[in-house]
Amino acid sequence: MKFTVNKELILEALQKVQAIVNPRTTLPILSNVLFQSDGKKLTLSATDLEVSVRTSIDAKVDKAGGTTLPARRLLSIVRELPSAEIEVDTDEKDIASIKCGPSFFKLVGISEDEFPPPPKFEGGKSYKMEQGVFKEMLQKTGYAASTDETRYILNGVLLSFQGEKLIVVATDGRRLALVEQEVEFPKKSEGDLVVPSKTVNELIRTLGDEGELTIQATENQVAFEFDDILIISKLIEGTFPNFRQVIPAQCEERVTIEREILFTALKRAALLTNDQSNSVKLLFTSNKLQIVTETPDVGESKETIPVKFSGKDVSVAFNPEFMMDPLKCLQSDEIHIEMTDELSPGVIKADVPFLYVLMPMRMS
Amino acid sequence: MDRVFLHVDMDAFFASVEQRNNPELRGRPVVVGAAGDERGVVSAASYEARKFGIHSAMPSREAKRRCPHAVFVPVNGPLYSAVSKQILSIMERFTPLVEPLSIDEAFLDVTGSRRLYGDGPEIAKKIKSAIKEETGLTASVGVAPNKFLAKLASDMDKPDGLTVVPESPAAIREFLAPLPVRRIWGVGKVTGQILDRAGIHLVSDLQEISRERLGSIIGKHSAAHLTRLALGEDVREIELEYDEKSMSREYTFSEDCSDRARVEEILCDLVDDVAGRLRRAERYASVAHLKLRWKGFQTITRQKSFGSPCCDTFRFRVVALEMLRAQDLSKPVRLVGFGVSRLGDLPSSQLDLFGGPGLDDRKEKLSRTIDDIRSKYGENSIGLPPPSQV
Repeated sequence: MKFTVNKELILEALQKVQAIVNPRTTLPILSNVLFQSDGKKLTLSATDLEVSVRTSIDAKVDKAGGTTLPARRLLSIVRELPSAEIEVDTDEKDIASIKCGPSFFKLVGISEDEFPPPPKFEGGKSYKMEQGVFKEMLQKTGYAASTDETRYILNGVLLSFQGEKLIVVATDGRRLALVEQEVEFPKKSEGDLVVPSKTVNELIRTLGDEGELTIQATENQVAFEFDDILIISKLIEGTFPNFRQVIPAQCEERVTIEREILFTALKRAALLTNDQSNSVKLLFTSNKLQIVTETPDVGESKETIPVKFSGKDVSVAFNPEFMMDPLKCLQSDEIHIEMTDELSPGVIKADVPFLYVLMPMRMS
Repeated sequence: MDRVFLHVDMDAFFASVEQRNNPELRGRPVVVGAAGDERGVVSAASYEARKFGIHSAMPSREAKRRCPHAVFVPVNGPLYSAVSKQILSIMERFTPLVEPLSIDEAFLDVTGSRRLYGDGPEIAKKIKSAIKEETGLTASVGVAPNKFLAKLASDMDKPDGLTVVPESPAAIREFLAPLPVRRIWGVGKVTGQILDRAGIHLVSDLQEISRERLGSIIGKHSAAHLTRLALGEDVREIELEYDEKSMSREYTFSEDCSDRARVEEILCDLVDDVAGRLRRAERYASVAHLKLRWKGFQTITRQKSFGSPCCDTFRFRVVALEMLRAQDLSKPVRLVGFGVSRLGDLPSSQLDLFGGPGLDDRKEKLSRTIDDIRSKYGENSIGLPPPSQV
């Protein structure tokens, strides 16, 4: 095949697809990006067999066809190329000649026949949403998913389409993040999908702020289609734990705190933690919150910030990272923390449909 | 201040213990390990057997072929550990700075003991004769200003040897010069081949080559390391508390095993053993490892991390079996192994939303109770459910 393409266009496309290429794969073909063209558009695809991404861009195609080229290396080359137009010409041995201004590269590829065929995807449930809305829902929850490989079902984000709502939930068993949003979809499309974290991260990276998104799901696969991108991913099979059961129905105390002030104070307090002792103590008294870190062999920190609080004194310890995570992705000026005692879950809420449940750490 | 290190290395340890306990074996080629008609390897060979080219790690069948009249004795682990402890206690009479390297060798720092027991060679003689008198076994000892040289020296005059490395840098250089490079700590098969190809065969070649040229052959980092050792420099101290970074156990089947249930059973035994050791050491692990070797030596390893560090047998079993069951076991298995790593002292005090730690706590407690029962009534007094129920 032979094509000429704008550098910025192909760079952007490569960046979108290369993130899912696993650098430590045992199958060389999976390190490559598939290029295909029918004569008009140029399509780039990558896959790690769990999730596949396809995007197409405009190109001047002189000879239709297909080939695959090493993703990381090609990306590095394109990034460093000088001029705006890049010409790629491949021979029958899948060796690509890349010309750009005064630069010339020969890059060894692999035949397109060896690239895994795209997953077969047939119909199923369908949903339509605004891209930006969905992206924000994932951003507000995705970080809470588990990386513990022994709790496989938690290594993803739950999309629960029920009633006229989409509820997105992620949890690692220690904290849980939840957002909900009204979405219209036919009654027969009600159902739960657990999308792997890798796919969620790819979506956060590639979804735009505007434009329509179509989600289609079968029993074990999900497809996201937006702009010129198609992401098809396996779903995590199994039953997501009953998240409603761990959301406290009622907490005894409620505090209102300025988000930015709490975040920066926690960030400072976290500087004193280490692997053995990664908790900060929060002492709530009348209109006052004291944040204390005491780490053996490291040191101590103490900081007092103003809050709106008139209940009984509560002291509770949390992992500061877990507390900062939701504060990072909220925009609200104020947040609310609800809690009961040092062994019961704390709840962080904002004036948007967001909920974060966090288990304390046992104080020694 | 000048330092004095000893390296004490027991001579053909396992075989010598067997010969000591059984007079009939004395003077005869003795091979400790798998029997000559079984699959398995030689763990140790007596000096009489070594004359026939038998050495440890050699397949027993090969040993039998080389010396058909050799006596094959099974490995008696508990006996050797008991003797090893006895020898360790002899060494500890001379200095508290004893670092056991394995069951039959140790480093000693006797720098501070010279006023009490005489200089390095004198202490070495005393340790050798105490070992001979109290255990009936012989040891070879190296005396040197550092660990590297002491270990080299102990190997120079085996058995029942005593080698003293000179103290001045020039004399040390001369002492090392004629040795093959493979004798240097860290130079194994691969590095050895690379050096050979570059025409570097003896330590003297290393002493003469420039650091830059050596760096271009084996890399800057290794070059610095080798140059120091070639000049006899080594700054390692005696390590008293050996901080374990991982724990593991392996099992080699005497016949390649195609019975999936049997592999699972063995794996569970290994898990049980590793988990017990972990708890006895008061540690918690964050990662579990599975090792499988198929017939024909192809080996794979798989690992999985736990969200929170744990030490309970039940969680390990679930994870180990999960990793095993993800493998295609149609090929016969030669070896199976289980290990844990990323060890820490403290369990996470993070509470779990779904009642996790309560559950984990209970399983840990149960595991510890099983340990207690076993230590009171014996290893086989209580077992765990078969793997088919996990």
